[in-house]
Amino acid sequence: MGNVLLDVRNLRTEFVTQDGVVHAVNGVTFALEEGETLGLVGESGSGKSVSMLTVMRLIPMPPGRIPSGEVIFQGQDLLKLSPEEMRQIRGNKIAMVFQDPMTSLNPVLTISTQITESLELHLGMSKDKARKRAVELLKMVNIPEAERRLDDYPHQFSGGMRQRVMIAMGLSCSPQLLIADEPTTALDVTIQAQITDIVKRLKSELGMAIIWITHDLGVIAGLADRINVMYSGYIVETAHTKEMFANPLHPYTVGLLGSIPRLDEGKKEKLTPIEGLPPDLVNMPTGCPFHDRCSFRTQKCLEENPPLMSVGVKHWSACWNYEAVREKRDEILHREILQPVTA
Amino acid sequence: MLAYIVQRLIWLPVLLILISLVTFALGLYGPGDPVQVMMGLHTNPQIVEQVRQEYGFDQPFLVQYWNYITNALQGNFGYSLVKYQGQRVSDLIAKRLPITLQLNLVAILWSVPLGIALGIFAALKRKSWLDVFVRGVVILGISLPVIGLMPVLDFALSRKHELGALVIGPFLPPGGWRGIFAPHIIQPAFILGLGLLAVYTRQTRAAMIEVMSADYVRTARAKGLKEWMVVMRHALRNAWIPLITIIGFTLAGLFAGSFLVEQFYSIPGIGALAYESLLSKEYYVIMAFTLIAATVYVIINLIIDIAYAFVDPRIRYK
Repeated sequence: MGNVLLDVRNLRTEFVTQDGVVHAVNGVTFALEEGETLGLVGESGSGKSVSMLTVMRLIPMPPGRIPSGEVIFQGQDLLKLSPEEMRQIRGNKIAMVFQDPMTSLNPVLTISTQITESLELHLGMSKDKARKRAVELLKMVNIPEAERRLDDYPHQFSGGMRQRVMIAMGLSCSPQLLIADEPTTALDVTIQAQITDIVKRLKSELGMAIIWITHDLGVIAGLADRINVMYSGYIVETAHTKEMFANPLHPYTVGLLGSIPRLDEGKKEKLTPIEGLPPDLVNMPTGCPFHDRCSFRTQKCLEENPPLMSVGVKHWSACWNYEAVREKRDEILHREILQPVTA
Repeated sequence: MLAYIVQRLIWLPVLLILISLVTFALGLYGPGDPVQVMMGLHTNPQIVEQVRQEYGFDQPFLVQYWNYITNALQGNFGYSLVKYQGQRVSDLIAKRLPITLQLNLVAILWSVPLGIALGIFAALKRKSWLDVFVRGVVILGISLPVIGLMPVLDFALSRKHELGALVIGPFLPPGGWRGIFAPHIIQPAFILGLGLLAVYTRQTRAAMIEVMSADYVRTARAKGLKEWMVVMRHALRNAWIPLITIIGFTLAGLFAGSFLVEQFYSIPGIGALAYESLLSKEYYVIMAFTLIAATVYVIINLIIDIAYAFVDPRIRYK
């Protein structure tokens, strides 16, 4: 670790719609080191997918627009590249795996075509060589009888296998960064575990950095080095994974942790949902975007949106009342008081 | 794939028998008595009866049907009773059909590829001036009736006759058929193609817009493919699936799609033949025409189904 691979600064993404401007991403700043795994957590509409699609420059413009921000990848600002330069990075140095493997693979093209086309394009491989590489890739993601399955069409694969094919496609050009946009959300729990295991193994073998988008903290607990929690287009808390679970200091993170079912709890304990709805991204409220749903709310929260404040070792939270959160959260989470991780 | 085609083929004769039965029944029991038509109204009833027996019209329905069908399968669709008296219906059709086919082919060849290309461009440049222009042309093409457009076009071109007789003169169809390479084909083929152009542009545009927003197109872009690869390989192949249906019906229309235009420009095609036969109650001609048209539609439908399987692997491997 050490070298910064991706440095996102003050990134904003908006969509112009008939109802007004949707503020999807509102000034996101974070850095990712080489080989690091970052979890991007939040509910639907929190801007996690949109921010990553912006990094990939896959936002349709119009209606989308990027009023500010820098995305420094290996020293280059991706937002300043020409479409052609960006195209050469996509799928080659940064790859993306999408949520729904049922619709994300092209139904009328063979798996072989879909894997080999980027190999031929980005790495200049011959057809034969690309085919051999495709077989290797399919074996890498545990597709049985890879040679035989290569000429099959997506509908001949199960959902879990299709997602593995997607991952094989994503890894085909050995990218430095793999962005996984809820890759397990559409799958059964057992298949989810298979996919995360495969990604974990490939990460240790290939050493690429990963940004894993999910709304499920449980999925990335064993996967991510660090977690960014997003809410209505802001990063509201960021910390190392262990620290985040042991010492959450934003009421929204506490809420997310409270809504994970736990095996060690009695049956009588109900899950604690987060009451209310996320704010309207067209007419954003003043102050903290979470104040409407927050039990720690004070007058200041209505007036001023908190910036990310350093609250611990490599731990930032955008909450004015993080001290109060520290005191009350274990009660809310029905758990023994855990000691915060030191260093 | 083979099983799929065989399955389709089994249904083909069943459908054709049903169609011929309905056609024959309509011809036999529909309005108008062929013998009356042939003999005129003021004929001795005894002679009428005699002719009826001679032609076999007094026999039971199924016997008549059987005779007709066995003859038809050998290419004999009977004889013209009135207008082209004594001529074989099959000869009439064989003489007229190529003219219609050629005319329609020229219309299809200029309009369908252009329509598909315009549809793709309009979808890719959605909401640009090109898209607005194309949509305007489409609305005009769909809403202007051919029957109104023909005289207007004719009139407009004739008015300029003094100015540029040399330029426009050859393009004015004085009527009749002078083959596929004569400039006289331009006006009827233009009129015929206009509707096709509109339909193809609209359908292609709609199909492409839908496909371009599909998840797999986003995947293709995320792979860093060149834009033409995204469009031609990933999007267009999926857009073909809805387009195949209308391509099939256009091909079927090759046979029967140009009644009005043939009539207006006095082109002696099969559309004109059918229309004349209708007016003069040409019993056998109309029956043959209906039967052949229906058969063409059924066969085209079969071809469409097979074409689907070629384009869409999900059907092929079911």
